[in-house]
Amino acid sequence: MIYGSINNDLQKLYLIVASLLVFGLVTLFSISSDPFSFNSSFSRQIIFILFSLFIFFLLKAVDIKAIHDNSITIYLISIFVCFIPFFMPPVENTSRWIDLGLFYIQPAEYLKCATVIAIAKYLSNNQLAVKDMSTVIVPVLIASLSAFIVLNQPDLGTSVIILVPVLPMLLWAGVNNFTIFLMIIPFITIIAASNDLAFNIWAFLMFVMFMLFQGKLLNRILLYFANIFAGLLFPFFWNNFLNGYQRQRFLDFLNPDLDPMGSSYHIIQSITAIGSGGLFGKGWGQGTQTQLKFLPVQESDFILSVIAEEFGFLGISLIMFLFFMLIKTLLDIAFRCSDYFSSLVIVGLTSILFSHIFINSAMTIGLMPVKGLPTPFVSAGGSFMLLCFVILSLVSNFSKN
Amino acid sequence: MLKIDNKADIFHYRTLMAILTFSMLLLVGRYFHLQIIEHERFFSKSQVNRVKAKASYAPRGLIVDRNGVVIVENSPTYILTVTPYEMKNIEDQFDKISSIISVPIEEIERRYKKYYRGRFLPTVIAKNLSFAQISQIEEMKLDFPGVQYERFDERLYNTELNDMHILGYLRELDRETIPTLDKSSLYRAGELIGWQGVEREYEKELRYSKGVNYIEVDTYGREIENLNSNNIPAYPGKNLVLTIDSELQKFSRNLLEGKKGSIIVSKVNSGEILSIVSSPSYNLSIFRGETSSKEWEELIESEDKPILNRNISGLYPPGSSFKIVTAINLIEKGLLDPEDNLMCAGSYTPQGSSNTFNCWKEDGHGLVNLRKAISESCNVYFYETVQLIKLNEWISTAKKFGFNQLTEIDLPNEIVGLIPDKEFFIDTYGRWGWSERGVLLNMTLGQGDILVTPLQSLRYINHIASKGKNTAKLKINLNKPTEFYEPINLSEQTWVRLYDGLYDVVNSDGGSGWRARQIKTGITLYGKTSTAENPHGEPHAWFNGFFDLNGEKYSLVVMVENGGGGGAVASPIAGELVNFISSNIEFLAKK
Repeated sequence: MIYGSINNDLQKLYLIVASLLVFGLVTLFSISSDPFSFNSSFSRQIIFILFSLFIFFLLKAVDIKAIHDNSITIYLISIFVCFIPFFMPPVENTSRWIDLGLFYIQPAEYLKCATVIAIAKYLSNNQLAVKDMSTVIVPVLIASLSAFIVLNQPDLGTSVIILVPVLPMLLWAGVNNFTIFLMIIPFITIIAASNDLAFNIWAFLMFVMFMLFQGKLLNRILLYFANIFAGLLFPFFWNNFLNGYQRQRFLDFLNPDLDPMGSSYHIIQSITAIGSGGLFGKGWGQGTQTQLKFLPVQESDFILSVIAEEFGFLGISLIMFLFFMLIKTLLDIAFRCSDYFSSLVIVGLTSILFSHIFINSAMTIGLMPVKGLPTPFVSAGGSFMLLCFVILSLVSNFSKN
Repeated sequence: MLKIDNKADIFHYRTLMAILTFSMLLLVGRYFHLQIIEHERFFSKSQVNRVKAKASYAPRGLIVDRNGVVIVENSPTYILTVTPYEMKNIEDQFDKISSIISVPIEEIERRYKKYYRGRFLPTVIAKNLSFAQISQIEEMKLDFPGVQYERFDERLYNTELNDMHILGYLRELDRETIPTLDKSSLYRAGELIGWQGVEREYEKELRYSKGVNYIEVDTYGREIENLNSNNIPAYPGKNLVLTIDSELQKFSRNLLEGKKGSIIVSKVNSGEILSIVSSPSYNLSIFRGETSSKEWEELIESEDKPILNRNISGLYPPGSSFKIVTAINLIEKGLLDPEDNLMCAGSYTPQGSSNTFNCWKEDGHGLVNLRKAISESCNVYFYETVQLIKLNEWISTAKKFGFNQLTEIDLPNEIVGLIPDKEFFIDTYGRWGWSERGVLLNMTLGQGDILVTPLQSLRYINHIASKGKNTAKLKINLNKPTEFYEPINLSEQTWVRLYDGLYDVVNSDGGSGWRARQIKTGITLYGKTSTAENPHGEPHAWFNGFFDLNGEKYSLVVMVENGGGGGAVASPIAGELVNFISSNIEFLAKK
């Protein structure tokens, strides 16, 4: 069983977030050439954090019953706001941002929260047959609508993130584990197939998981081998049935923001920076890859590579531990809070944070294609920092129940 | 508070924890693999084999005239950069550099602060350096650790032909402008982009395609080796061949020396612009960074508006050349017999009105038929006859000849001008503040609210010169395919009557444009003068004309802003132009 109380959890949560913020600021200080000027990412980050804190306290005052009762309205308004950029002059050739003069806001960030709340509302009200397959359909539709709009902005990364919370929330609501398991594993298998070591580890883990489920043994073994087979076939298909041009087209679709200099160049620079850091790192402000600007977008997308280079494996392990504790604490809160709706919302929000952490880290070490997703509480950037604090605020608000 | 209790299952919690644990272990495992197991390899790679991608450039395309005379080329200049951390005693070095390149040390320090990007990165401290200055620095290399120079092409303009109104100029891109560009991903801050004239219009063609060099650098970012295998080469931009003839262009420029106005000469059958001058102009060297902001302000605020390209962005009342529009309506609709004589006694008073409208000739022209009315530009004839025409028919004829529309020439910032219509008059003067008859009295003289650009006037004369058929669209890029304007269908009889009038303007004794007559060359010049009244002072002097020479049709427009009478001021200039063209015809005929 899980021990402790919700209040302890919240304190722990704030402590972890504070540590991550400090870690991020220390790193930003290292890469800013003139940290105290108003334009440096360091100073800007401090301003963003202060502003986000303000919003955090503001949101905490909102009655959660109001959120619960109006969750569909909130969802529809968020969808509506996401349409606004389509009618405004494009920013950097996309319709993702709304220009507010002083700064831009990205409505898709908040659609993430609204989607989670809408799904939670549906699942918490549906007491009839949560184990029924049809229960799966409505949440998938809600998330798909959001994801589809965001995909057309176009923003593939965010639309994937919007889809992610569906699975953990369904699981939390008691939908048959095996169903969910079957929904997710083919994707992991295909991703893992790009790397031999990862694929072997995954094959083993998958076997263990298949064995743990109940049901007919033969079915489980057949499904297991179907997955392994798909994983083995994918690289073969990729290499033999797609020509270079088609592969590039596919990769370009995955990475519309690609720099003309080439994405593999970015990954190579990132991996070199990380690998050269070693156990202890090169020291604060001493990372040659970082300081010579070999690393691209180092203040947001590749900030973990900076940490890995300058603070070494110890530093990155500490960050990973903090991330682990962050997610674990959030799950503890979700498990412990007394109300079902709140619990579901927290699980959904947690999975958004987690997918950011995972996708961003995996990108820096070449496990995933280059995608401009920031890391929670560490990466520079106002819009996303604000979202993280909004999530934090919702969690602390909802946990009171 | 809410109705339903949390019914989360411990098994679900454990499942999520398992996924979390697995994912984090996967990540940490990968970090472990890179940072501990493969550390040696990556560390040595980071020490000696750091590949830096660096953009490489090629020259921008040249701009040449129709005979291959180079008008705009590239001149290599140098920029000086410093890598801060390699420098010893920065103050001292800046002081020495300042004396060699004769730039005040404050300016160098200002640039250094402005462009500073980091201790290890080169920062630009001076631009536009000559080869001589660079050699001096190169000689004293040991005194200047951390100082490097790079080649940087600047535009070099032919001193006699630096006609910025058509050529345009390049401008350094800043971060704010880039997102507004068409293909913004191709541009980086600090690069040059065509900002006006053909440099802007043909930016895509003139611009080089950027390449990438993968360069091996050492621990300190110093370049060691160029890794040729993966380099993407840069390609130079395409050259742009203009329809301009340099000699004619220079000659036209001289004709307008000290005057405000414009001259345009074109070939009617191909739409090629042979010469296009807007006066006054100014020296393009202003865009090479040596201009103070004070000089700039003077240019912008100058009353003569040197920045304005009068040919396509200047608006003027066209004056009497619009009498042709009235004449076309009269003949085409059969509203009167062109041979009929009307009496001009020097003034005209509309029926039931107390206002009197004067002819420019106070004593009157006596008996006037259409031909004489055109050639001597009699106002009274058109005052009387325009009363037979409906306003909207008159407007539609004017618009057929391209007024109130773009000529679609391949130059940026062209404007459409104004042919006022009923809506305009109602908006401006109120529903009862004007009358169709009243405004037509002004419009038939090309006055009132009508505004045209000189280039529109050229298109008008080209339509007439080609009798409305196959009038080529005006263009300035010789290799642009020829396109045609909408044909204008008028009866042959109308054209004959018009040509008679236009012939007499230049070639009859009373013709208003007799000063343009070609006695020496024997060329038959057709034309129409205008003396356009305007609120800014003296009238604008216009001459629009065309002629045949060796089987080729040429057309020209001369406009002298506030110059005085079209006959006295513009016609002699037109005469000299035709004379020059006929004596240089073998040169013009090329291409």
